[in-house]
Amino acid sequence: MIEVRDLQKNYNGVTVVNIPSLVVQKGETIGLVGNNGAGKTTFFRMILDLIRPSQGQVFSKGENVRATEDWKRYTGSHLDEGFLIDFLTPEEYFNFIGKLNGLTPGDVQAFMDRFRDFFNGEILEQRKYIRDFSKGNQKKVGVAAAVMSDPELLILDEPFANLDPSSQIRLKNLLKDLKRQGMTMLISSHDLSHVIEVCDRIVLLEKGKVMEDMKTNETTLQQLESYFTV
Amino acid sequence: MIRLLLAHQWKEATRSSVWQKNLAINLVLGFFMLIMLLYVVLIGFFMNEIVQAVKPEANVVDVVNRSLLYYFLVDLSLRFFMQELPVLGVQPYLHLPIGKGRLVHFVLWKSITSLFNFLPLLLFIPFALRMLPEVYGTGGAWMWVAGMFLITLINNFLTLYFKRQLVEKPLVTVGFLLAVVGLATLDYLGYISVGTASAVFFRALGNNPILVLVPLAALVAVYLLNYRFLMAHTYPEEMRVGKPAKVGDSTEIGLLQRFGEMGTLIGLEVKLILRHKRPKSTTTMSVFFLAYGFLFYTNKVYTDGFAMLIFPGIFMTGFMMMSYGQFVPGWQSAHFDALLTKRLSPYTFYMGKFWMFVVACTAAYLVTLLYGFMPGVGIKIMAINTACFLYNIGVNTFVILFMSTYNKKRIDLSKSASFNWQGVGASQFIMMLPALLIPILVYLPFGLMDKPWWGIAAVGVLGILGFLFHRQLMGVVVQRFQREKYAIAAGFRQV
Repeated sequence: MIEVRDLQKNYNGVTVVNIPSLVVQKGETIGLVGNNGAGKTTFFRMILDLIRPSQGQVFSKGENVRATEDWKRYTGSHLDEGFLIDFLTPEEYFNFIGKLNGLTPGDVQAFMDRFRDFFNGEILEQRKYIRDFSKGNQKKVGVAAAVMSDPELLILDEPFANLDPSSQIRLKNLLKDLKRQGMTMLISSHDLSHVIEVCDRIVLLEKGKVMEDMKTNETTLQQLESYFTV
Repeated sequence: MIRLLLAHQWKEATRSSVWQKNLAINLVLGFFMLIMLLYVVLIGFFMNEIVQAVKPEANVVDVVNRSLLYYFLVDLSLRFFMQELPVLGVQPYLHLPIGKGRLVHFVLWKSITSLFNFLPLLLFIPFALRMLPEVYGTGGAWMWVAGMFLITLINNFLTLYFKRQLVEKPLVTVGFLLAVVGLATLDYLGYISVGTASAVFFRALGNNPILVLVPLAALVAVYLLNYRFLMAHTYPEEMRVGKPAKVGDSTEIGLLQRFGEMGTLIGLEVKLILRHKRPKSTTTMSVFFLAYGFLFYTNKVYTDGFAMLIFPGIFMTGFMMMSYGQFVPGWQSAHFDALLTKRLSPYTFYMGKFWMFVVACTAAYLVTLLYGFMPGVGIKIMAINTACFLYNIGVNTFVILFMSTYNKKRIDLSKSASFNWQGVGASQFIMMLPALLIPILVYLPFGLMDKPWWGIAAVGVLGILGFLFHRQLMGVVVQRFQREKYAIAAGFRQV
């Protein structure tokens, strides 16, 4: 699904991402962990063609993401508030994204009904612009919009941050559902247990380099915790 | 303590990214500001001559005294619309061991630094120093100035108080405004005379310095009013100016829905304009500029020629496009990443902008057709404006869109519109030049050969050609955008 070759990004002579090779198979769910500044977001931005790599390429379904726009059709993503259009209401935003993806208003309505639980009554029919929502609720809007078109590839940057415990659990269940449907996922998180529970492969970044790349099993949490213990 | 707060304010101002990045522009702006202030001082200094020129018989000091209260009424209403409420970011200090009272005093004192408070000083001190000592003596002249400044400050705090009450208890503010309007009306109808009151008060002030206590007492009263109001409302959510926007029913413009993706994009942009102050005032301004033609069309010097009519033609039919378009895609900097990653090709994105410009130009063009009713030159104006309109939609749209790829400065839409230089860079200044000059250059050779109508036709034909080949031209724009998008996105991410 995703293939990274020789990828590097330098800022003023400092290498922030340096991944010689990484392959993500279709249907795989990958959790990206690492301390602040490890290069997780930069890596995601390069996959989404938001940052020009200093060197190397990212291939999505065998095509360089910089050469075509095809990946936009099957990729859903939410990295930060920059992905939201904050002067719209959530409904307007969903309708806008829906239209870009060729969904009918009926489809969008059905989608919103499906997410009613996840929204916990705090998102829809609030008569508020997205910019007036709390960070957590903004995140819910972003994540929901990202999965709206049933993308084949889903990229989320710290989806659990700012969410209340119930919402974290709902999100976890949602992601597991999507995984069962065969969606390929790339999720970064600081919450080790959540990410291990959702993902079947963990990639550990430090200073832009892949330090560990492992399948999750019973001991993964212990391994990671011992890695991060200072 | 106050010194520390002042230091923080100073740092906030000088470290703001807008200030640092646009140093050159700020210097230019500062220069113009200085010149303006210099004019004000000069007007004050030559007030005597100015009044004499208008009313040769009158006693200048009397005239000024009579008009002062009117001046303050105008000042008050101007302030009401233009003066910004000083909002020290109080929030980061509230949990620290600093008395609330101090913070409130600081916020209030800070408001005194508003330019509105210094204009009257610049205007009237030169006048007072030159004219008043011989009437009231030096002491009297200074008391006159003091009284005048105190009233300025009263205006300042009245504005602050009633602007804040606008959120809390709108009726109080409305009542106050009605009182002011009522006063003006009564004066106009001749029941009372603000002028006489003004003359009596300021003459007395000059002759009897003790009277300065009257505005002083009033000032103290207004200050305390503000102080008590703010003390009761130091909670961050109550300090906010304006409540969170109320959302009406989501308004989708039905017509736009028929144009598919393009319609959706234009609908999004229309919402952007309607829901933010700055783009809204930018577009509203362009409505006023439709009257720009009168400056040219009423003057025979211009209407006899052609070249000087091309300029207003381009300007009027294209102003909305140019004033809004010069910041594209900066208006969308806050959600630019979304636009890049959602299912949307840059080609469609820019096509949406193109058609929006075409609609805006067409609307402006239809209005300028009204100039056709002008006797004598109407037909000529219509013909030239038609050519300019065609040129705008066929060529200038692409000039603007191509230049827009040089915009790498973030625009924060929540900031206000006036004196906001955010997002302004060199490209804004350079952009207007080709858009306005090239059509005149196209016309020029024909004009020199004494075939002006051919020149106008050439401008129009160029526009038609550009419009016919808009897909190809758009390809050029998009190609450049593809190269630049990383730099643009990186610039927009910098808050």
